[in-house]
Amino acid sequence: MEQQLTVWAFYTFSALAVLSAFGVVFFKNIIYAVLSLISTLIMVSGLFFAMGAELIGGLQILIYAVAIVVFYVLVISTVPEFKGNSVDPAYMLVSLPIGFILFLELAYVSIYGAWQSNVGLFTNEVVKEVGNIKAVSTLLFTKYLFPFEVASLILLVAMIGAIVIGRKSHVIDEEEAK
Amino acid sequence: MELLGVIVGISIKALIFIIGMFLGAAYLTWIERKFAGHIQQRPGPLHVGYHGLLQPIADALKVLTKEDLVPDGVDKFLFYLASLMAFVPAIMILAVVPFGEGFNLFGFEIKPYITDLNIALILALAFGSISIYGVIFAGWASNSKYPMIGGLRKAAVLIGYEVALGFAMVGPVMQAGSFSLKEIVEAQSSYWFIIPNILGFVVILFAILAETGRTPFDVQEAEAELVSGYNTEYTAMKFGLFPLAEWYVATFVLSAITVILFFGGWQPFPLLGWLPIPSIVWFFIKVFALFMFFLWVHWTLPRYRVDQITELAWKIMLPLALANIFIVALWVIVIG
Repeated sequence: MEQQLTVWAFYTFSALAVLSAFGVVFFKNIIYAVLSLISTLIMVSGLFFAMGAELIGGLQILIYAVAIVVFYVLVISTVPEFKGNSVDPAYMLVSLPIGFILFLELAYVSIYGAWQSNVGLFTNEVVKEVGNIKAVSTLLFTKYLFPFEVASLILLVAMIGAIVIGRKSHVIDEEEAK
Repeated sequence: MELLGVIVGISIKALIFIIGMFLGAAYLTWIERKFAGHIQQRPGPLHVGYHGLLQPIADALKVLTKEDLVPDGVDKFLFYLASLMAFVPAIMILAVVPFGEGFNLFGFEIKPYITDLNIALILALAFGSISIYGVIFAGWASNSKYPMIGGLRKAAVLIGYEVALGFAMVGPVMQAGSFSLKEIVEAQSSYWFIIPNILGFVVILFAILAETGRTPFDVQEAEAELVSGYNTEYTAMKFGLFPLAEWYVATFVLSAITVILFFGGWQPFPLLGWLPIPSIVWFFIKVFALFMFFLWVHWTLPRYRVDQITELAWKIMLPLALANIFIVALWVIVIG
């Protein structure tokens, strides 16, 4: 019966995630689109919980649904009454094939992942034994240490780039220019 | 069938927690008003019942029966949703906070917590930060200048202090080797984690004051500048949910988490372990001491400016939290 419950949770969360993903695309009012985005991310976190990956589920809410989307909301809500214009349908000719390629890539990764998940040290039984956090951190700080550090370096570079692009020239410089 | 029993049990427990928190929050308002009154040398609520004891009930009746105005220009759906989005996540944190050890009552084992997840701390942080949307959406949906500014100020404050809060919580987690709040308490049986974590505790005090919008940091509803901030357009119970969520439920729950992380949760005070006091009472003594501390700060200090608050968050609190992680790492390596 517990199995049954997990299956039901999986289908409920998936259906709601897909529904709210449609909302992100089709809502004309941009605040509602962001609201559906938050809903999608929380439903995906629910999917993680249903599959037994609590750590990823918790981090999904904390990082994606809050830390990242809050900046979207911040930017959007400083532009009140912005309803968004529809784009020229001709762009569909480009966006459809690219979207399809992205879909294929994601499908490949998830099928490959399902195939590979039972290979390696951390099988389902081991993860149940040691817990999610230990399993993730063990892999993160041994096998994937280098990619992990490279990812943080890329983020640092992106952050510095954003600051450089976004900064105004200093007040003193403006006075000198006069 | 066993599963059905578990579900029914958890539902009943959750209901007890929610109703308890509602009634508790109502009486926390009485405590706050009484305490604030005595700090400022006035009696506080006095006439409804003995020393104003029935005042929260009168207030609740007033708030529930008031006319529920919705201004014309607002986005109705978001306007209603926002007050719930502020309140529901705050009360959801209760699901992962343990209030004491399991004990036996009439032959049943009663556990004073809803779940004991091994990522409880992360979930508590996540739920706590979702309520930020309530404030921002309230500001946006009101379609009015003061709420808008209030909501944006709150967002700026929260983004800064959420980071510092998260980093400050790392210290006790490193010492206990677990994210489970229950295991963190159990790891403190020999000494409390306040000892090497004193910097982290200071950061958390500031972060909780900022997160719950209490006075040195209450720029989002600075009365002198913004009328009432993000909840200017709200009336009746929709209005009541905001302070209930921020000032009472969130402050109480975050105090509970701080006690669990730094002051040994339901472990008795040092040298007083022989007293016949149950663990849950120890826990509430500590939580109320901390809660009163926040009230004391709230009713004593004046308000910071917005730029001072964000500067404090990024230039002082974040480095302090990182220094705390460094110190605790050394402590764990040297002492164990």
